[in-house]
Amino acid sequence: METLVYTALFAPLVSSLFAALFGMTPKRQFVGIVTSLLLFVSFVSSALLLDYVMEFGSIHVTMMDWIVAGDMSVPFGFNVDQVTAVMMTVVTLVSTVVHIYSNGYMEHDKGFNRFFSYLSAFVFSMMVLVMSDNFLGLFIGWEGVGVCSWLLIGFWYHKEDVGRDVNPSISPAWAANEAFIMNRIADLGMLVGIFLIYWNIGSLQYDVVFSHLDGLSHGMLVAIGIFLFIGAMGKSAQFPLHTWLADAMEGPTPVSALIHAATMVTAGVYLVIRANPLYDMIPEVGYFIAALGTFVAIFAASMALVNRDLKRIIAYSTLSQLGYMFAAAGLGAYWVALFHLAAHAFFKALLFLGAGNVMHAMHDELDIFKMGGLKKIMGWTYAYMGVASLALAGIWPLAGFYSKDTILEVAFNEHTYGIWFILWLTAGLTAFYSFRLVFLTFWSDSRYKEFGFHPHEVQKYVLWAMAPLAILAVVFGWYKDSFMEFVTRTLPLYEMSEHTHHMVGVLIAVTTLVAVGGIVVAYLMYSRRLKRNEKIEKSLPYRVLSNQYYIPIFYEKAFSKPYAELSDIAWKEIDMQVVDATVDGIAHLVEESGDGARGMQTGNLSDYLKWMAFGVIALAVLAVFVAMKS
Amino acid sequence: MENILSVLVFFPLIAALLGILVNEKSIRAYGISVATIEFVLSLWLWMSYDSANGGFQFIEFFPIASDFGINYYLGIDGISLFIVIMATMITLIGIVSLSITKNLKNLIISLLFLEVTMVGVFVSLDAIVFYLFWEFSLVPMLYIIGAWGGEKRVYAAVKFFLYTFTGSLVMLVGMLYVAYIYHSVSGVWSFALTDWYALVLPLSVQKWLFWAFFLGFAIKVPMFPFHTWLPYAHGQAPTVGSVILAAVLLKMGSYGFVRFSLPMFPDASVAYIVPVATIAIIMIIYTAMVAYAQSDMKQVIAYSSISHMGVIILGTFAMNAEGITGSIFQMLSHGIVSGALFLLVGVIYDRTHTKEMSQFGGLAAVMPKYALIYGIMLMASVGLPLTIGFIGEYLSLAGFFKISPIMTLLAGTSIILGAVYMLSLYKKTFFGPVTNEKNKTLTDLNSKELMGLVPLVAIVIWLGVYPKPVLVPIDNSVKALVSFMHEKAQTPEARAIIKVSKSTKEAK
Repeated sequence: METLVYTALFAPLVSSLFAALFGMTPKRQFVGIVTSLLLFVSFVSSALLLDYVMEFGSIHVTMMDWIVAGDMSVPFGFNVDQVTAVMMTVVTLVSTVVHIYSNGYMEHDKGFNRFFSYLSAFVFSMMVLVMSDNFLGLFIGWEGVGVCSWLLIGFWYHKEDVGRDVNPSISPAWAANEAFIMNRIADLGMLVGIFLIYWNIGSLQYDVVFSHLDGLSHGMLVAIGIFLFIGAMGKSAQFPLHTWLADAMEGPTPVSALIHAATMVTAGVYLVIRANPLYDMIPEVGYFIAALGTFVAIFAASMALVNRDLKRIIAYSTLSQLGYMFAAAGLGAYWVALFHLAAHAFFKALLFLGAGNVMHAMHDELDIFKMGGLKKIMGWTYAYMGVASLALAGIWPLAGFYSKDTILEVAFNEHTYGIWFILWLTAGLTAFYSFRLVFLTFWSDSRYKEFGFHPHEVQKYVLWAMAPLAILAVVFGWYKDSFMEFVTRTLPLYEMSEHTHHMVGVLIAVTTLVAVGGIVVAYLMYSRRLKRNEKIEKSLPYRVLSNQYYIPIFYEKAFSKPYAELSDIAWKEIDMQVVDATVDGIAHLVEESGDGARGMQTGNLSDYLKWMAFGVIALAVLAVFVAMKS
Repeated sequence: MENILSVLVFFPLIAALLGILVNEKSIRAYGISVATIEFVLSLWLWMSYDSANGGFQFIEFFPIASDFGINYYLGIDGISLFIVIMATMITLIGIVSLSITKNLKNLIISLLFLEVTMVGVFVSLDAIVFYLFWEFSLVPMLYIIGAWGGEKRVYAAVKFFLYTFTGSLVMLVGMLYVAYIYHSVSGVWSFALTDWYALVLPLSVQKWLFWAFFLGFAIKVPMFPFHTWLPYAHGQAPTVGSVILAAVLLKMGSYGFVRFSLPMFPDASVAYIVPVATIAIIMIIYTAMVAYAQSDMKQVIAYSSISHMGVIILGTFAMNAEGITGSIFQMLSHGIVSGALFLLVGVIYDRTHTKEMSQFGGLAAVMPKYALIYGIMLMASVGLPLTIGFIGEYLSLAGFFKISPIMTLLAGTSIILGAVYMLSLYKKTFFGPVTNEKNKTLTDLNSKELMGLVPLVAIVIWLGVYPKPVLVPIDNSVKALVSFMHEKAQTPEARAIIKVSKSTKEAK
């Protein structure tokens, strides 16, 4: 079984290194094929491990020591339990699909080989993140996915910086740096959490840490919980560290599907799920996580309502769904969070890949106002995106229905009706903006003709590659009970109260009602023709939403600019004018006093005698003075 | 080889003297051969070193002026071993990747002299011998900056020399005073470090001496506000000068704290944790900001050096094995990474004769290999796990966290601010369209440059993934040091704060 663990983990690394060999040469088709095969190998190993874990329980392997200093000893150790096995399977499945898909999507790109190298490196980092048996190992993956995300967002690095009014993300390179730096801010919080764990427990191994939590004071547990969650907020783009995710859409679309929808951004949720023994002991922090998640859910959904950028809309919906996951995890329903995480990975990756097909067809145009009527030309893509959107909207019997409804039930069961209501409302908004996108892209009038586009459907094998995701987006929810039974062998079981049980039918009905309502409104507004309403588009709420509540501009004015100015002052005014000038001033003083003293060296003997007499007197006075004092 | 340390010190010296006879044409090959032999000797030292033993090894003792207690006394432990190896390696790489042709013979001879002093400083166990090597190291560097530097080279060289010299003089007074106390206690003169370690000084005396040594070390590191000589020195020095300065010479200062201040003045060191750490935090944050404000690529790296040295100082004053081991590892890591970064700046300067980032942009498309290696070093510099840069930074911060979580949080901003200036440098230089016509025809790294850089890349990844072979010898010596400090400490505060690791082996 150890072999399987290592195969699943290292196949992506081998894949990345293999592609890297050709990183600077022109496109080689076999690079795409070999990396996809290696990823498939990793997927098969993960699936076999899942099966093994299902039957025999978790596997633990320790490869070698990593950091050994003082009393700290951190190994490269990997633990495959139920949660990890699920994560591994989801990650490698989506990754394999995205690798195959990218063969088509990146077909004409100069950086074809380089792209696969980065993409596989990402998968390796993600596997380290989910498989590690200790917090520092998780941190390796955590930072690793951050770097790969940086490389992939900035993949088209040659593009120039432009103003926010032209492109809200400014440029791929800018967006990449923003993502990296914002994640680093959160990572500092995570490091502090790790330090707290180390100095209070003396180990970073999950099993040791979680079995020693009882010995810690409540305040310390809260501190650890908060600092770890700060780390999670960065990776999962929770408010106020959310702006990078929408800007990350500058990366190639397969990247958005894999990293910025299905896998990396869920790392924060994974961390909270993994640390469930900790968060179970500090329900107040859990409640805060749930509240923040709920806020992000509706906050992100509101921005998606008015956006015209195909990818940004999906990015906001990702953000919103991450909020749902945190709401569930925060309320203690860890398995529900994991269930939604997996379901979301399938339908959101599918949605993004579909969006990639549309972009491909539309020559990288992203404005949905310039599309319309594409269902006649791109039937398959339309079907895929329709299925994914129905799943996202939470329509029976698709995956999103099961996972999202359970989250709402949990919120209801916990008597956190505020959270329930906001999440319920958000479900309606989700359905609306998802279908606004679908209708404006695939239905309504064929506006693309005015702009001279000649859309076409993508290659057959690309469509086939997307099929597994589509199937899972439909059927995954049907296995809710067996999923629960499986993961709750590690995660705490979440029981609904009697009262909630009685209400389930009603809850499902009202949720479905609001979701269908959202779709109907979108249908009425956008299915025939795009009617633009100048008055609404100029109104304040619309502008606030389309400018992301002016938060990016606020960050620039409140943080980036002042930091740059302060840095300039630190250098020019303080370092040069004060610190260095003082040093030079002292040096000049020494030089001048030496210069002045040169006057004494006249070569005239009587002058020297005068100075000597002066010196003798001075010494005598000093001697008397010292003698008197002592 | 019993006298391996003497061989390491004197082989380059003899080679440098013989080098005067070598003709200009073959001097490069000669320099590389000598540096290679020296490097191999230092590796041999590592192979023969007993990792389990934390004490001094390969000790050589030979009286010079025994009446005055001055002896030729050499030895190494885990703390100095790897710095010696790094010094010989960086010298080799510096010579291999030399692109200077003017007065090459003088330059190579100077570099070999410099190597003598660098190795000498780290293997000396006699304060006077240490001091001699310490001061002699200024001379070749002064010459290298003054003769092969940029436009303002004389100003920069003199500033470098006078500034560090002044600090060292104060340190010398401190050393003489320690020797005086030793004499008044024992009746004999001694400058042997091991004798000094045994000396238990009252706290009031420790405090004065602490600052006397501090000044010498702090200017060398350089610590805020004594750092302004460094940007000038780097700005004017030729590439090889900057590489050695950043990689090895700065480490003399931080090494001094570990070798002298901690074991000799444990109580004073503990008493001054807060002021020293405050300076370290100022170094980390303030110089990171100054680095961000630079328009010259080399100045960014120069200021970033100061910022990273702040983390090293912080780790040193963590008073536990985690932090001190981390800080020594970070010295190595900073040596490798900043050395590589200065080499990389040299690569582009050789081609374009400018270091202004505004002249670049889009280089990733023109020079992919260059961009790749620069990117790896960037990531190591910002402390990415699985690169060499993470281990030391992580351990230093983790160690100091025991002393003060709040100060560690402030110092930890290093991982954010470091990313800010390095990523901004990378974006300005490598990303975006190629705006400067001249840059469209730049050639990528040539084989000579790759020969210097590829080994550094290999080390960055090797020690990031598997640091154990280096970490364990360091850690064993550090544990011995910490338990020694703990035993020696007199004040209850110091005894409480100096934390002996549970895994410390019984001192032999």
